[in-house]
Amino acid sequence: MLLIGALPQPITSAPLVVLIYLVLILMIAGALASVLLRSTLYAIGAFAATMLLVSILYLTIAPFVLFAVQLLIFTSVSALLLAGLLRDTSGFQRATVGPFSREWIIGAAVAAALLALVGVVAAVTSWPIRESSQAVACCTSFLTTVTDEYRFALATVVVVIGSAALGSGLLLAGSRAPRTPGRRG
Amino acid sequence: MSVGLSAVLLASAALLAAGAFALVARRSAVTTLLGTQFVLLAGAIAFVAFGRFGVQGQAAAAQQNVAGSMALVVGAVAVAELAVGVAMAALIYRESRSFAVDADRG
Repeated sequence: MLLIGALPQPITSAPLVVLIYLVLILMIAGALASVLLRSTLYAIGAFAATMLLVSILYLTIAPFVLFAVQLLIFTSVSALLLAGLLRDTSGFQRATVGPFSREWIIGAAVAAALLALVGVVAAVTSWPIRESSQAVACCTSFLTTVTDEYRFALATVVVVIGSAALGSGLLLAGSRAPRTPGRRG
Repeated sequence: MSVGLSAVLLASAALLAAGAFALVARRSAVTTLLGTQFVLLAGAIAFVAFGRFGVQGQAAAAQQNVAGSMALVVGAVAVAELAVGVAMAALIYRESRSFAVDADRG
């Protein structure tokens, strides 16, 4: 299919435009933080936040299934893998501050403010609810395309994921197995 | 004010640049892994952006489905690559008690 035709149609709905720009800026900031931070724990946290923001971007411009898969599978599996790596190697350090310290209160306030912002946007625009009726039809169309036209790609993805799981399992199992001493001791 | 193809592609390019920087300049295996994830994610976002903003008319829905399928495959490959990379990073850490991947293990 050629990428030609009528001029591209931009998104002009004001709340949606603001949301998309906010998500794009935060996504780049999260990626930069993930790359530049020295602490592995913070870098992985920034990476998980970036993946979450990408899923929100998918919610606005992509089929709904892609948002769901990105959020529920790709983001959670990536975060779990990296958290497992940290737990298996350098470990998580216990927090040095109490649950009612200044840092926790500031973090909770920021989270509450962001949640309130999302609530205000949802109440003013009724955006996710209005879109949900279209999401079902869009999901059906998307899944039909994937299962009908991309069977070979799906099979390839299954083989790739299976091979990766097998390979990583063998790598980790081989490294944990007791080593037999060589001839020279 | 509007959002079009160029804005999303710019963000995708920035993500690609951040990933390439991590691949080239950082020595930590974990940061390198995150860089490869960003590079693949940038490609997926570009696919989705072209699917959403690329074509109008009757072909638009089909184009969006095709782009979404590509992004789905790219994401699955990224997760598979991350699984193997995490295992390799764990091995590197067990060998040298560090995630550094260069020769001097600095």
